[in-house]
Amino acid sequence: MGIEVKNLTKEFSGKKVLNNISFRVEDGETLGVVGFSGSGKSTLLKIICGLLYPNSGEIITSPKDADIAMTFQYSALFDFLTVFDNIAFPLTQRKEFRNKYSREELKEIVAQKLKIVGLEGIENRYPSELSGGMQKRVGFARAIVTNPKIILYDEPTAGLDPVSSTLIENYIVELKKELNASCLVVTHQLSTIKRATDKAIMLYEGEIVYKGSTKELLEGANPYTRQFVSASIKGPMKIKTL
Amino acid sequence: MINVKKTLLYRTINLLWTEINDFLITLGNIGKDFLCVAKTLTTLKVDKKALIEQCARFSVDSLPITLTIVAMTSIIIAMQIAPELAKQGAGNYVGSLSALVMVRELSAIMSGFAIISMIGSSYASEIASMAVTEQISAMRVLKVDPIEYLIVPRFLSGVVMMPFVVIVSTFCGLLCAAIISNLTAEITYLNFISSMWHGLFIKDIFVALLKSSFFGGTIALISCSCGYSTRGGALEVGTSTTRAVVWSFVAIAVWDYIFASVFYL
Repeated sequence: MGIEVKNLTKEFSGKKVLNNISFRVEDGETLGVVGFSGSGKSTLLKIICGLLYPNSGEIITSPKDADIAMTFQYSALFDFLTVFDNIAFPLTQRKEFRNKYSREELKEIVAQKLKIVGLEGIENRYPSELSGGMQKRVGFARAIVTNPKIILYDEPTAGLDPVSSTLIENYIVELKKELNASCLVVTHQLSTIKRATDKAIMLYEGEIVYKGSTKELLEGANPYTRQFVSASIKGPMKIKTL
Repeated sequence: MINVKKTLLYRTINLLWTEINDFLITLGNIGKDFLCVAKTLTTLKVDKKALIEQCARFSVDSLPITLTIVAMTSIIIAMQIAPELAKQGAGNYVGSLSALVMVRELSAIMSGFAIISMIGSSYASEIASMAVTEQISAMRVLKVDPIEYLIVPRFLSGVVMMPFVVIVSTFCGLLCAAIISNLTAEITYLNFISSMWHGLFIKDIFVALLKSSFFGGTIALISCSCGYSTRGGALEVGTSTTRAVVWSFVAIAVWDYIFASVFYL
């Protein structure tokens, strides 16, 4: 088992953003998290990676203190550092890795991670010199530099053209295989769900309204998923929350 | 029927309460960040490379503007007092008066103002930009403490480098005062220097250095803290930068009063 979320509840100013959420993701499995804007998807990721605390519930990882990596919607690369320094950042700044690697070893590791995401030879460039898709891939390389067992993707294909989206989706699949990691992908894009995930949950007003295979979600297994897949404004999900 | 919420009194009280609330939140954030910085400092683990970079930035980058402001202030003061004192036969006191004014007050406070506008505002805006673009969240997810990485080196550079900036600017200010006194009131350089040493005490120099160290640390801490607590977007980056500048001005004025009360009252 990679990660298990049990009865997770989160409130902001008395309003429940997540209500009693439970699911599990096995090793080498990718879970898609879909839902309309404001349904609590990003809050869920932030709680799993420790940026927010839940009001109740627990997150169990295997091994117990498994390294959790996250890629951000807008990459969140450090704009004052080069691509090399961005990717090497956890290895040079994190307490347990500090002074563990020589400059040569770091160069080798960074080059290897850049090769995985298909961006060899851009170590000396700054994030501002890269396209949106390249920034996302550098963000992927930075996230996997410590070989994490759990990877969270927040809107990995948002704002990208269809070809770049496909490329990103392929990398999500490849990284999972490479690291045998448990992955969570928060997305609005049906193509990402289709290509990059094995199973999915759908959130609506902080609750899970669908839990099952990606295939069934895309086939419209219940009224919620049917409305989501058909992009219809008519259905059980009320327009006021969109 | 009067709508209470539309009355001037209600709106004034509401605005006042918002300001008080904002003041308390900012004070709380600064206090919390200071405790985190202090906790990190007790471990004696400071990134030396980052510290050297920030020291260079705090001192070298701010020197041109600091020297200009201190030199101009000192020139204006010398232009005003030197001819007047010379006219009344007190030309021998121009050096000591200039030294007292520069060492005790003007050099540190003017350098502080220059550094707030040059360095403090840039600390606040760059950290605020990092906060709103999720770079600080990314740092936390990567298990790197943002306080240790971003705030501690900046705070230490303020504490260490501000006395250096004040020493250089004081020398520059006194040199300018000596030249202007010579040009406007024919006070010789030897007379100026001799008068300067008679008016100054070791205590003045010690207090000036201690005070400037407090100023530097305060400016860095407030600026970083205001940036670090930023939430939202571009508008909030601007608001945080303004808040950092205003708070830093007020804080160094308060420190100045405390130092004057403790050492000279």
